[in-house]
Amino acid sequence: MSYDSPARQDVHEDFDDHGAHHVNYLLIFGVLCVCTALSVIFDVIHINKALTIVLVLAIAVTKALSVMMFFMHLKFEGNWKYVLLAPTTILAIGLPLALYPDVGASYYTQTAPQVTIWADEIRADQARHAEHAETADHAVPGHVE
Amino acid sequence: MKMGIPIPNSKLGLWLFLGTEIMFFTAFIGSYIVLRLGSTGWPTDPHDTHINVLAGGLNTFVLIVSSYLVVVAHEAMAQKNFAKARTYLLGTLLLAFVFLGIKSVEYYGKFSNDILPGHIAETSSQAVKKASRELEIVVRNRFAAYTDSGAVKTDRPNDIVNLIVQIAALPTAAAPEGVSEATFNALKESAPVDAELYSKWMNLHQHIVANVSLKFPATGPEYLATREGLKAGEKMPELEYEEVTALLKDLKSNEKYGSYVMSGVFDPHPVVYGNIFASIYFLMTGFHAIHVIVGMILFYAVLKQGSKLNESWTDFVENSGLYWHFVDLVWIFLFPLLYII
Repeated sequence: MSYDSPARQDVHEDFDDHGAHHVNYLLIFGVLCVCTALSVIFDVIHINKALTIVLVLAIAVTKALSVMMFFMHLKFEGNWKYVLLAPTTILAIGLPLALYPDVGASYYTQTAPQVTIWADEIRADQARHAEHAETADHAVPGHVE
Repeated sequence: MKMGIPIPNSKLGLWLFLGTEIMFFTAFIGSYIVLRLGSTGWPTDPHDTHINVLAGGLNTFVLIVSSYLVVVAHEAMAQKNFAKARTYLLGTLLLAFVFLGIKSVEYYGKFSNDILPGHIAETSSQAVKKASRELEIVVRNRFAAYTDSGAVKTDRPNDIVNLIVQIAALPTAAAPEGVSEATFNALKESAPVDAELYSKWMNLHQHIVANVSLKFPATGPEYLATREGLKAGEKMPELEYEEVTALLKDLKSNEKYGSYVMSGVFDPHPVVYGNIFASIYFLMTGFHAIHVIVGMILFYAVLKQGSKLNESWTDFVENSGLYWHFVDLVWIFLFPLLYII
């Protein structure tokens, strides 16, 4: 094979021929559809919030891996994919981890206006419900103090 | 001796680009996660966010089908079946239009509920003031018809507090020079309705400024007399959010000016952290939509070749497919993060 003046086709033949790796794309498509349906079902049925988050993110990761490994053929590519994706993955995980202690975590009582006003409104609501409950109690005949 | 990575330069270049794109989107997604964790009371109720899981799920399905079609198109290119490749790429392009169509419907739902960054009231008092501002704009727009036509002469067309006097007097006035009879008669008919709407708005505005319940007067001698009657330490009853929502409901159902109020005033709906939610929603889905449009341009570039499409385009189709799969990947994460969690 000459490298002096490669024709477009020659150059292409030197590279890995992904056609040789037989992938059942329809099966992967089916898996993706099932995963999507499951995501929607987990949202519609009322289960524990934390469990929903874990399940739905696990499904998202499964779908992402299916697309990356099979549709994008990363399963059949060389080790260069790790060199390329490692920095991006480190940054992708590192950024939220770095910001979380300052922006995401709260160490003291939150005093943002949204939270204080929201807390006030919840307290007022609870006071109103307590008032109604008291009035309802007093209205019950034969109620003994 | 072979040198380098065994892939075409264009594919390596595209993967490096996708690496930067991953960082681009994870910056937004990571920021969203962190901001949300730090915001107690983040809106999740669909009545607040107007997020439609079924629309999002349908969009996910549309993108998955389009990813499947593009991968089959690439296989067809490798097998030198260019007609099949063109058909499948056309299918992918059409599904991209469907995705953008569903997205537009979702965006329209947001706009029609005024879910836009900076537009959302986060407390009930903000919601009340916002409703009053919107009603004021309705009144100003109605008054503009009188000043623009010249039916009411003024050198201060924005001074509605003084304009109302002239507008209220219009039914008994004569048409000024330069104003047609037909225009003036129409304005004479609408003047009492617009004057009534103005008085409703002004009444609400004064109660907001004084923070007094709508059941009591907020200005004038009656207000002062009510204040005089208060015992030591007693305050005037404050304006309640429920009173204002009831008032707006009445205004919207009024047969004379209800339609103006309906089209100009949104239902007050305070949503804590609503503005940052809207900002993040439009930022992430907006950038994703821009990436979809770029993908559509790539597919169009291939389809434009028509029957001239040949094997020299195989790498281009593969790389466009890789880009499209990345767009699908981003949506695979955006869907649960925005719509479900």
